[in-house]
Amino acid sequence: MFIKDLSCISPQKTFEDDFFGTEPIIYTGSQLKAVEPSYADIPRSQLRRMGKSNRMATGAGMPLLQKHKTDGIIIGTTDGGMEDCHRFLNQIIQYEEGTLTPTNFVQGSPSSPAGGLALMSANSGYNNTHSNKGLSFENCLMDADLLFIEGRAKSLLVGCVEEISQAQYRIETLAGFIKKDEITSDKLIGCGTPGAINGEGATMFVLESENDNALAELVDADMISYPTADDLVAKAKLLLERNGLAVSDIDALMLGYSGDSNSDHWYDVFAEQLFPETGILSFKNLFGETPSASAFATWFAANLVNGKSVPSQAVHKPISGELKTILIYNHYQGNQHGFVVVRAV
Amino acid sequence: MGRIVVTGMGVISAIGNNVSENHSSLQNGVSGIGKAQFLNSKYANELLFGEVKLSNDALRSQLNVSNLKGITRTELLAFIAFKEAVENAGLSTDELKSFETALLSGTTVGGMVEMEAIHADANTNQAPSEFVSSYRSGAHTLQLAKAFGLRGYTDTMNTACSSSANSIMLGARMIKAGKCKRAIVGGVDSLAKYTVNGFNSLQIFSDEVTRPFDANRKGLNLGEGAAYLVLEREEDAQGKTIYGEIRGYGNTNDAYHPSSMSPEAVGVRGAINGALQTARISPSEVSYVNGHGTGTENNDYTEVHGMNQIFDAVPPYTSTKSFTGHTLAAAGAIEAVYSLLSIQHQEIYATLNWQTQMPEFNSKPQTEFVANAEVKHVLSNSFGFGGNCSSLLISKV
Repeated sequence: MFIKDLSCISPQKTFEDDFFGTEPIIYTGSQLKAVEPSYADIPRSQLRRMGKSNRMATGAGMPLLQKHKTDGIIIGTTDGGMEDCHRFLNQIIQYEEGTLTPTNFVQGSPSSPAGGLALMSANSGYNNTHSNKGLSFENCLMDADLLFIEGRAKSLLVGCVEEISQAQYRIETLAGFIKKDEITSDKLIGCGTPGAINGEGATMFVLESENDNALAELVDADMISYPTADDLVAKAKLLLERNGLAVSDIDALMLGYSGDSNSDHWYDVFAEQLFPETGILSFKNLFGETPSASAFATWFAANLVNGKSVPSQAVHKPISGELKTILIYNHYQGNQHGFVVVRAV
Repeated sequence: MGRIVVTGMGVISAIGNNVSENHSSLQNGVSGIGKAQFLNSKYANELLFGEVKLSNDALRSQLNVSNLKGITRTELLAFIAFKEAVENAGLSTDELKSFETALLSGTTVGGMVEMEAIHADANTNQAPSEFVSSYRSGAHTLQLAKAFGLRGYTDTMNTACSSSANSIMLGARMIKAGKCKRAIVGGVDSLAKYTVNGFNSLQIFSDEVTRPFDANRKGLNLGEGAAYLVLEREEDAQGKTIYGEIRGYGNTNDAYHPSSMSPEAVGVRGAINGALQTARISPSEVSYVNGHGTGTENNDYTEVHGMNQIFDAVPPYTSTKSFTGHTLAAAGAIEAVYSLLSIQHQEIYATLNWQTQMPEFNSKPQTEFVANAEVKHVLSNSFGFGGNCSSLLISKV
């Protein structure tokens, strides 16, 4: 698969500004809010009715759908419109199951962004929503790959969206997955405390089956849940093998270090066991943690193999030589582990 | 590449706790719709539901997981049907553990069934409830993977009421493309205060038993349940009982409205045509349609209108939601099991409660049980909010 075009709304200035030409924003605390554009192209009447995830998905996705003819839409999102969802939930309790309006209920469904994009772009092609926590983006890539193999699509809009909702933020904090201490994002990795910092945004790609002036190639992806360290290494070896890649072909690892002292050891072990000589990049100190964080990583990696310069904050272990092939390894809360290989074209 | 066949089935719904109980209810025209006994909602006594006839405690003891914490009703239902399916297919522990075994499941409400616990966890600073990690979409898939030692591909889909049709579709496509050797596919939803109030706000509940495809239909009855299928390549299924083949599938978006379907039936026609085309069969070869048939004004009109445009003579069609209620994300998988039973036993199930022909159409649904039917190709439709329309073409092997 090839990345023909891409866009990203994130806690960094990735949408309208040149993220690679300026200093990254450094955040304090555990909520990295998206830098949202003005959404000038979305009619105001529609914009007002949209929850944040629908707004970000539309803002990042619609310009791509207008520019490229696509055969379908595949979206990954775990929480969808979680803020709307909790608004509806609170109304049920507050009004003791009285008569409610359905807006928040409909907007709160994870399938709402994919349906909304199809509606706005009058795209009656293939449409699917993967809502699988930390592997949602990898699921989207499998779905897209199959459509290309089957010859049922040549071009697809594929992407992920997640919003920070205050309710889910509190739930994740209670569960121990969010940092309670206030640190700055530039000091995140190796900070030694439990929990991650929460990010949000929408990352969208136009993926094509053929290389027609593509920006980068998505070579392959894979995943495993609840592995042992041996399982994880075995899975990564299989991924390399079936793509004819040697360890030395990987110019850099992009690892999902989230600053969570309970689960960052997976990255250390993985790098030591399989890639002891390879340089390492990080991304969650820029974008924060979301269930579909690997979509941010893929956007980042695609830009880097396409010649953008590496921000110094992203260098975890120095890289030597040209960046042509990047292996992204990311896990979510230590349970779901995913791989994506991005290569220069 | 040979055929993708079904070697195992598991189901739990309002009409039975396993495949054979469901089958018996379908044959005998026994509906599972009535007052809800276990649903915690003020509507439990006001409206009618297709509730599974087991309490959470009964489900837990049946599964032997009484001591496990944080397992929601959604997960309990999924465990029951998953276990039946993998046992039915005779999958070994090694096969379950193989990198080559995928799990794809659909749900909408997921762990949000525990609404009081979510509300407390989201709004107070007390100690976390036992369900704190169970609310988000994907939680039940992770619980299944952990409990059954799965190490392969996992996926959770949410395309509202077509979710599990999409999980069956994607599982079959993965095997066909050589991405895995076998896939356990299906979906689950439990009756929940959240969805009951959601659908109530959309004013699509009937205050009587649902009457799919009837001129005087008033809406749907919400149901709950779970179903899973084990899909394998035919060449790997030697010596196993083969229930049928996942032969065709179509997925399109209606691109019309967030919560209703276009009068032109764009999505419906696209999904059905997609299923027929991938199956390489002509419309006239379809023996029977297991319709989406929710009993709402909008769905039933659009579905029959769409079928009229595809079929010269519309084949016998039914809605088994008149037995189970609308089980949302589980519906596609539950109805796939019913389609496979129809093929296995060469019979067609009734649409219950039907009285009056829809004035817009010449056709009427099948209203009586038919034994000794000739069933070779079954079309199973699932249409969801957000315009998500999917159809499966399930065939006799």
